[in-house]
Amino acid sequence: MLSTLILIPILGALVVSFWPSQLTSAMAKAISGLSLGLTWVGVVWLATHFDLTTAGFQFEELLPWVESLGLSYRLGLDGLSLPLLAVNSLLGLVAVYISDPHLHRPRLYYSLILIINGAVAGAFLAANLLLFFIFYELELIPLYLLIAIWGGPRRGYAATKFLIYTALSGVLILGAFLGLVWLSGNTSFDYDTGLAAALPLMQQGILLVALLIGFGIKVPLFPFHTWLPDAHVEASTPISVLLAGVLLKLGTYGLVRFGLGLFPQAWMALAPWMAGWAVVSVLYGSLAAIAQVDMKKMVAYSSIGHMGYVLLAASASTPLSIVGTVFQMVSHGLISALLFLLVGVVYHTTGTRDLTVLRGLLNPERGLPLVGSLMILGVMASAGIPGMVGFISEFLVFRGSFLIFPVQTLLCMVGSGLTAVYFLLLVNRAFFGRLAIAPAGPTPQLDVDLPAVAWRDRGPALALAGLIVAFGLQPNWMARWSEHTTLALHAPYQGFVQAGALRFLSPARTLAADSTSLPPTDLEVRPWGPAAALVSPPLPAPLLDPISQP
Amino acid sequence: MGQFWVSTSWLLPAYGLMGAVLALPWSTGILRRTGPRPAAYLNILMTGVAFIHGGLVFRSIWNSGSQALLFRWFSFADLQLDLALDISVINLGALELITGLSLLAQIFALGYLEKDWALARFYSLMGFFEAAMSGLVLSGSLFLSYSLLEMLTLSTYLLVGFWYAQPLVVTAARDAFLTKRIGDVLLLMGVIALSALAGSLNFNDLYAWVKTEPLSPGLSTLLGLALIAGPVGKCAQFPLHLWLDEAMEGPNPASILRNSVVVTCGAYVLIRLQPIIVLSPVALGVLVLLGAITAVGGSLVAIAQVDLKRTLSYSTSAYLGLVFIAVGTEWPGVALTLLLTHAVAKALIFMAVGSIITTTNSQNLTEMGGLWAKMPATTLAFGIGALGMVGVLPLGCFWGLRMGLDFLSQSSAWLVVVFLTVNGLTALNLMRVFRLVFLGPPQAKTRRAPEVPWPMAVPMVTLSIVNLLVPAIMTRLSLVPPWEYLNLPMTSLLIATGIVGLGAGLVLPLSKSLARSTYRPLRIVQDLLAYDFYTERIYNRTIVAAVAVLSHCSNWFDRYVVDGLVNAVGLASLMGGEGLKYSISGQSQLYLLTIMTGVGLLGALMTWTLW
Repeated sequence: MLSTLILIPILGALVVSFWPSQLTSAMAKAISGLSLGLTWVGVVWLATHFDLTTAGFQFEELLPWVESLGLSYRLGLDGLSLPLLAVNSLLGLVAVYISDPHLHRPRLYYSLILIINGAVAGAFLAANLLLFFIFYELELIPLYLLIAIWGGPRRGYAATKFLIYTALSGVLILGAFLGLVWLSGNTSFDYDTGLAAALPLMQQGILLVALLIGFGIKVPLFPFHTWLPDAHVEASTPISVLLAGVLLKLGTYGLVRFGLGLFPQAWMALAPWMAGWAVVSVLYGSLAAIAQVDMKKMVAYSSIGHMGYVLLAASASTPLSIVGTVFQMVSHGLISALLFLLVGVVYHTTGTRDLTVLRGLLNPERGLPLVGSLMILGVMASAGIPGMVGFISEFLVFRGSFLIFPVQTLLCMVGSGLTAVYFLLLVNRAFFGRLAIAPAGPTPQLDVDLPAVAWRDRGPALALAGLIVAFGLQPNWMARWSEHTTLALHAPYQGFVQAGALRFLSPARTLAADSTSLPPTDLEVRPWGPAAALVSPPLPAPLLDPISQP
Repeated sequence: MGQFWVSTSWLLPAYGLMGAVLALPWSTGILRRTGPRPAAYLNILMTGVAFIHGGLVFRSIWNSGSQALLFRWFSFADLQLDLALDISVINLGALELITGLSLLAQIFALGYLEKDWALARFYSLMGFFEAAMSGLVLSGSLFLSYSLLEMLTLSTYLLVGFWYAQPLVVTAARDAFLTKRIGDVLLLMGVIALSALAGSLNFNDLYAWVKTEPLSPGLSTLLGLALIAGPVGKCAQFPLHLWLDEAMEGPNPASILRNSVVVTCGAYVLIRLQPIIVLSPVALGVLVLLGAITAVGGSLVAIAQVDLKRTLSYSTSAYLGLVFIAVGTEWPGVALTLLLTHAVAKALIFMAVGSIITTTNSQNLTEMGGLWAKMPATTLAFGIGALGMVGVLPLGCFWGLRMGLDFLSQSSAWLVVVFLTVNGLTALNLMRVFRLVFLGPPQAKTRRAPEVPWPMAVPMVTLSIVNLLVPAIMTRLSLVPPWEYLNLPMTSLLIATGIVGLGAGLVLPLSKSLARSTYRPLRIVQDLLAYDFYTERIYNRTIVAAVAVLSHCSNWFDRYVVDGLVNAVGLASLMGGEGLKYSISGQSQLYLLTIMTGVGLLGALMTWTLW
């Protein structure tokens, strides 16, 4: 079943590229939409048949491939990959839906998108280190081409930069994987949490650092991030949606799956450094975002900040923070996809993304009122306003990491405050005020009349906004898939977490705080009554009596 | 039947939200044929329903005692997040205050925003606003309270930014969001810390935990300071007070609520948190200090304002400062009484202000005068509201202030002075405003000033009557002490300061054409107060500038150092390739030599360890 998720998009790509007769852009779009729709159905089927109580891989598939190398075609699905797989299918569908219907060379374009979708699904499903690497690299060239052919004016530079950075990341990851298996004397690259157990800490540490840098480039984390703003600015809107929503998640997924999962001892040793790195990344990304004047660049820098939370949560490695990484990955996928989508609409209708030029787009008759309203929703979700998925994921990350890394967590929360600053700048500059497109010069263009956005173009944004609110109001729908997987991932870190928590609490309480089983729910109802608050100081009798004892 | 109303009381906050959602077809412009009025009617209806439902619940728990509703919202590992509602008499009283004032303000808005094209959007936002406030006063868990505080921040941003095409409104909305957000982020730090340390975030569990868990003084101080930061932002207290006066750029019906019940909500959370803050004497001291600074500073700054709404918003900050003092000195009863009486009186004053603004299309005090004969209902409403605000006649705030003085006189004399100063200065300022607006000769903008139409007059007159009845209502709820408990010296001091303030306001020389004095020392003081001690400029020069400089630094660093290094590496390799290509002579001997050297070096490297 799992292979179909990879094969359907690849098959779709083949159909699109080898379609015998004239293939119009609309037909190519329909075919790719159909095949991604099928994978979406597949994901839903998997989700409904997913066993919530199993921690390990489910629906496993195993085909021996190159046994002498230790490479096998082994796929598995668990609570960590399922939500990401769903995001991948969803955003793939969105990207195809919003692609320009009149773009040139549609065959190549759609087959590349389909290949990316299949490769990313494969990477999320791979239960063999080499197989993961193959899929990880497979997505690289199509994305390079998508930026280099359909991108903006500096597309060549941005695409090459992306290619070099990501290829470097691939080399580091491959090196770490090879080192891990060969040094530990294994013959198979199959995913196994005990792989590194026999290695001395020093070797584990070196391998982990290589892995961290490799995935850190992909995430991206400071100082390996400069490919991201360039790639985003030059990529077309659907590609930006894919890049921010799905491809960055490969990096964080890799950190959690292969870093946290494979190197528990080295991870614990390096965790304080990683938390510090996360703080630097968060604050740096947020501060740099404030200074941007290109809307897309601002959203891109915000990605750097928000992906830093994942590193913080992963380094704390409590059950809550590990599930927080899943939440943050999904929520960032949805929110940044929405933001890029809306920036794309603004760019499409006004021809610019420059914050010094755009004014008052919220105008109800001649502007983009619905796009503006959704933008406000999106930036508020990103800034962590409750009721949307951004809040609960940040809450889980911070709450999960606080006892282990209190100072780092608090500093990351400052980054969350800075998010409000730059996104408020964006909304205030571009959407509030009097409608105008005012390039630097003496004559601002005031009689702007922007074309109305059709409902079919608003559809995906509305759907994403709906999901953001739905998961924000009911996070259990997301947490239930990941619960047992995160508890299993956390298992090697129990002692570490307790040691961290000890600084705050007496030992007896620490055990309770770290218990992996759910404590009995304390639903006992006690009447509070602010009377209780009133009682604490002595008050004259006549004030209180009728209230506390009616 | 009573139990049915209590068990469905989770609907109380939902009514406002329902109204907001029901108004969406009009506010998004899908339904245009009917005009925006149906959205307004729907919201008024929902608020009315909430008010009646709240009243029924109030009656039934008055007899049967308070109850709690608990919904498990999210549970994972050791984290349990509950949505808890405490259905107690005080909470329900606050809810009735909120829904009642919201109902009146929404009817008022029918008249005030009659010609506004975005009426439906306004009512959507008001519904959202009301829902957040109703939930906040009923909330029995810190998590829910925090979430709703953030909702309030968001809806304040949207309501202040309602007329977003005006430049002042844009900056006001931004400042309102950011200053509140600073408080909220600090509060979130406290919430996260409490959640991690105490396990549960329900107030009851927290109170129990506080009693048993020994916290180090440093930790409890940090915790207490983080927890008071949220209410400081929400109640517009120093140093996060800037937003409230700027927020006066928003539509007036929202200002009615903002100056009466929104600030109350912030203080309400503070009162709920008080048993935790008590752990730290430092935090309590800070609370009292901030309250005192804001109370005196706000009262002084209010006197120098020439904007009708802004001068009153500073007095809101000042009264909330008194509430902070009451909480900080552990007299929550005083705080609650002050909140109730202030909210009712301030809402009435702001309704009168709304009427004045509608009629004169101006909120500049220097352009007014002589309205008393033309707008009798408004004059009366303003007068009643003003008398309700200060301790002269035994109307609303008199009782709150009296109670505060009574208790504080036992412990600290300087806080008594603060209370009396605020009372006197507020009386002075209200008298000044009254003279400028209603007395004196009419000016250009007040010459043709008819009384407001009924959608505004009815709620205003209703609230005037309510204001007059406040002492009776308080007696009914036994909030007014019997006469023998009256602290006579303090009460007479209160009345004396009120009368002195009113008298000073009456004899104060007022020059309308020259609001700024020509006498230089006086002008300096006047400017200092008029610009709020230059707080905004200080912030611009310090915090805002620091963030701007940091962001530009990191942007510069990013562009020239991080990216520059990367580009330099790329450029170096390209140049290296270009440069090396000229070293090729084409002779095969040279190729052979290069290869041999390379292989030799590699071999040496590989076998290094064997030597």
